[in-house]
Amino acid sequence: MYIPKVAVLFGFGINCDHETAAVFDMVGGNSTRVHLNSFISGSDSLDNYDILAVPGGFSFGDHLGSGRLMGNRMRFSLRDELTKFIAAGKPIIGICNGFQVLVKTGLLPGPGGNVPDFVQRASLTLNDSGRYEDRWVSLEFNQYSNCIWTKGMSRIDCPVRHGEGKYVMPDRENLTKLAANNQIAVRYIDPDSTDADPDVVLPFPKSPNGSMMNIAGISDNTGLVFGLMPHPEAIYAQWLHPDYTRGTAPVTASDIEWEGQGLQIFRNAVEYVIANN
Amino acid sequence: MQITRVETTPRSGDGLRDVRGDVVRRHLSADYGIQLTAVRSIVGFLISSDIAPERISQRADDLFADPIIEYSLTNQTFLQSKDIFTELPDAVVSVGFKPGVTDNPGKAALDGFRTIFPDAHQESDISTYITYSFYGLDGQTTPEFIAANLYNNLIERAEISTAEMCQNGEWPMIDYPIRPPQEFKQPAHIDLEIADNELIEISETGLLALNLTEMQAIQTHYRNDSVRNARRAIGIVEDRPTDVELECLAQTWSEHCKHKIFASKIHHKDLETGEESTVDSIFKTHIMNPTHDMQKEVDWLLSVFHDNSGVIAWDDEWSVCMKAETHNSPSALDPYGGAMTGIVGVNRDILGTGLGARPIANTDVFCFGPPDWQGDIPDNLFHPSRVLRGVHSGVRVGGNESGIPTINGAIVFDERYLGKPLVYCGTVGLMPRKLPDGRESHVKTPTAGDIVYMVGGRVGYDGIHGATFSSLELTEESPSSAVQIGDPITQKKMVDMLLEARDAGLITCITDNGAGGLSSSIGEMAEYTNGCRIDLAKVPLKQPGLSPWEILVSESQERMTVAIKSEDIAEFEHLAALHEVEATAVAEFTSTGMFHVQFNDATVAYLPIEFLHDGVPQLELESEWSPPQHEPFIAPAEYDHNQILLDLLARPNIASKETWVRQYDHEVIAQTAVKPFVGVERDGPADAGVIAPIYGNPRGLVVSCGIAPRYSDIDAGAMAAAAIDEAVRNAVCVGVNVDKIAGLDNFCWPDPIQSEKTPDGKFKLAQLVRANRELERVCRAYRLPCVSGKDSMKNDYGKGPNKISIPPTLLFSLFGDHPDVRNTATSDFKHSGDKVYLVGESFDELGASEVSFMLRESSKARGIGGKVPSLSNPEKLFNSYRLLSSSINSGLVKTAHDCSEGGIGITLAEMCIGGRIGATIDLDGTGDCPLWSKLWGESLGRIVVAVSPQNEAAFLQSMSGCITTYLGVVEDSDTLTISDGFEPLVSIRIPELVQSWQGTLDMNGGEL
Repeated sequence: MYIPKVAVLFGFGINCDHETAAVFDMVGGNSTRVHLNSFISGSDSLDNYDILAVPGGFSFGDHLGSGRLMGNRMRFSLRDELTKFIAAGKPIIGICNGFQVLVKTGLLPGPGGNVPDFVQRASLTLNDSGRYEDRWVSLEFNQYSNCIWTKGMSRIDCPVRHGEGKYVMPDRENLTKLAANNQIAVRYIDPDSTDADPDVVLPFPKSPNGSMMNIAGISDNTGLVFGLMPHPEAIYAQWLHPDYTRGTAPVTASDIEWEGQGLQIFRNAVEYVIANN
Repeated sequence: MQITRVETTPRSGDGLRDVRGDVVRRHLSADYGIQLTAVRSIVGFLISSDIAPERISQRADDLFADPIIEYSLTNQTFLQSKDIFTELPDAVVSVGFKPGVTDNPGKAALDGFRTIFPDAHQESDISTYITYSFYGLDGQTTPEFIAANLYNNLIERAEISTAEMCQNGEWPMIDYPIRPPQEFKQPAHIDLEIADNELIEISETGLLALNLTEMQAIQTHYRNDSVRNARRAIGIVEDRPTDVELECLAQTWSEHCKHKIFASKIHHKDLETGEESTVDSIFKTHIMNPTHDMQKEVDWLLSVFHDNSGVIAWDDEWSVCMKAETHNSPSALDPYGGAMTGIVGVNRDILGTGLGARPIANTDVFCFGPPDWQGDIPDNLFHPSRVLRGVHSGVRVGGNESGIPTINGAIVFDERYLGKPLVYCGTVGLMPRKLPDGRESHVKTPTAGDIVYMVGGRVGYDGIHGATFSSLELTEESPSSAVQIGDPITQKKMVDMLLEARDAGLITCITDNGAGGLSSSIGEMAEYTNGCRIDLAKVPLKQPGLSPWEILVSESQERMTVAIKSEDIAEFEHLAALHEVEATAVAEFTSTGMFHVQFNDATVAYLPIEFLHDGVPQLELESEWSPPQHEPFIAPAEYDHNQILLDLLARPNIASKETWVRQYDHEVIAQTAVKPFVGVERDGPADAGVIAPIYGNPRGLVVSCGIAPRYSDIDAGAMAAAAIDEAVRNAVCVGVNVDKIAGLDNFCWPDPIQSEKTPDGKFKLAQLVRANRELERVCRAYRLPCVSGKDSMKNDYGKGPNKISIPPTLLFSLFGDHPDVRNTATSDFKHSGDKVYLVGESFDELGASEVSFMLRESSKARGIGGKVPSLSNPEKLFNSYRLLSSSINSGLVKTAHDCSEGGIGITLAEMCIGGRIGATIDLDGTGDCPLWSKLWGESLGRIVVAVSPQNEAAFLQSMSGCITTYLGVVEDSDTLTISDGFEPLVSIRIPELVQSWQGTLDMNGGEL
């Protein structure tokens, strides 16, 4: 069987590269941590990979806005390579700082179609609380999304670990369009409520940041590029769930007896590549 | 070069807010009760470059401003813009950096600037500032008061506009900070053939922190004929030191680096028992010897004491190391920068262990003055709430940006930490036992001829005299050059790069540049090969003009010193270039026996390695113990235990620290199984951190700590025993493997050397002797080797009657093995019907308890005296720890919480808070002592556990031989009820407990 090759970007303050690489390997991928400069200098090429992951961290210390400087390096130095990667139908994920990078490069939410224009349309800004926090949230995935990463997923618990995770799109028309296109792949939810209006911003801490429409993550038009603020890789095993010690951590149907709810996201992409290879 | 000003400010509108300004508004409300209607913020960039302002302006929204959420403006200020700043502010404060201070946003901006303008001049630079405008300021609060809370004049400058100036359109304008030129000075030659008082004067005026005996030892060295001959031959002044040499000796021989008090010969007198004895090095006698004895009995103590951290074998594949440091003096002067350099500094100790370990977890323990302190603040120091905010935010930024989870810690409050906060930062590291090339990773392998690189940051004027400065007491004249701001991203890049270099087999030796800078880092490594030759002219500088001695001793941050075989140089430099990390060959190892320093071709220092490292004379000190006298604690005649419980829960020492701890990333790297907060609402306290660092493998590591400074008021020996027992108890509560635990001793003491300025030095030294004797006794009983440690011995502020000395404080950190993170216990009660037991027993030990301090402060009790908790039979306790840990590992026990501050009463309350569930408890039979001792006493060795009814019998059987007393049952109710036999003591609803516990240290000033 084909083993998809995953480039896990690192350098300049990215710091979730090790676990992001590990989770792809757990679900049948073959990951390599690649320094961004290896792609820019040409010593390695995006062509060599089937999946690109931009992990969490603090690239350039989040100065001048999270993900901005890393985004600029990619926008100005990897433009053609990224365009080619996306045109080839290869999946990209950005997690936390990686999501911020994809939004600031303009890859998310993107212009529509599969030709990126590298124009920023949204932003991730300071949490309404003004605080960086590490806390667990409940997420709900959009059943109608075409995002290949979130296929078949409904609800999971995940940690958020950010100070700038509030998704904003001041142009309401664009925001409405995003929702109508089912590009809002994942939202924060109140796990105890079943009939809340998803568009009404949840109170803190159910929404950890005050995101518009409770947006936790979005995908591009093709469903191949996906970014989210929470950390699904941080719940790769059940023992990482805060309820594990109480015996109430969610279990999964996986063959890996200890598998946590987050791993499926990475398996989805690996299986997508295998199916389309 | 011209200066272009670019400003950005948040857009307003539906769903958009100025969060930065709002945080300032809420903090002013929380800390000082100042109510403002709004605060707005502007971030400014001062760009010094040859790029024309028009070009910069065109690209401002590509770099400086995020056009979706921010406006930008070039060469104007927003304050003049009536469209955006429509309302006239009542005050404006603009804060920028002083010249030469690390400006991380500026550095990042410069990097981004070069991405957009690759043609910009080499020497382009960017400085940043931030401006706040205040609305709704009442007449009583001055703009100056607000400004004083927004900047630190040691490192920053502020410009203020008052209401009147605002009305006149006079806005604060921070200008580009121009560094005063540094004057390069050729090495001075210092004549030491002078009178003793002049020797002392040289030491004092030069901030050398050397005493007369040490100055005389240096004097004697230069009288030696063979020394003079060798010096003549190499071409350096022969009969006296250069300033480079004197500074180098001062750094290397500083208390900070040489631990002279721990190494001293102490004449100890105990006036209580009549004992008179001599201790020849506390360190060797009480810390090193016990560990070396244990090293003979186990095979997992790989490297103790001599490296940057202690290393233990975890399993056949991996080893683990840990180190904790303090950064007290810098944190007193600049809480943010001082604490940040503390955490990133100890990370480098891990990177500098063996051939390089990966930092995988941080711990942070702080001691502050009371956050609601109403009294005077010593000159030049900050209010404790400001220290708390600054230290916390420095550690948060340092830890989070480095991608290292903070998994354990504590915050302790006492008035005496007003004079000197204690900032302990610890880091755990992981490394493969063997590198791909077969070398054992914990062993450094340098040989003469290896090339020595300085890697990471550059050397600047900042950080000169940190080591010697921290060996002196704090005064209002303490130097600003001892304060630095860390740069975690530069360091992160360096860590990434060096770990790749390690795995590629390129590194033969590595150490960090901390105290003493290159003089210490290269000097210490040169001991391996017995010599080195350094060329200071090769060292890259932040600004030109630094003199040789300054380059040698500067403690500029984010630097490692790394030795590489000459054939591997090209590969190493290639890796550095890929990661955009500066790496410069500055020295080589030799076997000449000499620490040889050149500036280009001129020799500027030429010291025998042996003299440099072993030449410092041993101190001889006097110690005299007589027990301090305290009014005994007597429980008040009238009391309400419900109220005492609520009041204790609200005490800063006990209150929830969630606001602060939740801002640390505690689970990056995806390994944290037991997080700092546990329970139904994930807000109950965890006893220890548990991580599973190998992906997909549930084998774990436990990290815990213990600290009990209050007990020093009665006996510092008891304080030390309590700290160690607490660390072990905490680890046992999560099921540590007690056969593989290792400890770190971090002593913070007031100056214990008898002198005019320290008239009670003998007593303070006796406290140190007693603490170390207890440390040895308890560690031997617990089979707990100390593998690394540190001491900070001058934690005093000022002189004379106003002197403030900290209470002698030992932080004991522990790291140990955990067989399987799937079988741990946490403090939260789990299920109604679970049976509650006390392991251990209570004694009449209310001396220096939290309740005694609380009731004395409110004048309900007269004193805190009495019997302080002690460990009469640690061997027996250790047996119960072993059995309890096994019960947890086998899955019998899912709930355990240790008893510490506030005794069983607080322990039970916290367990109910975590589980949001009630319990009915009877303290009858928990100890042969008065009721107050049973309920609020802090006797050591006690852990409350809960077991399910079906596991109860098996649990009791597994604990046979230990004192295990039935307390009661967890109940499906919202009330905690405690009685002693038929006497009801406490009956209180859980929501009330939550409210008291969480209110005190919230300090957020309202949520939004």
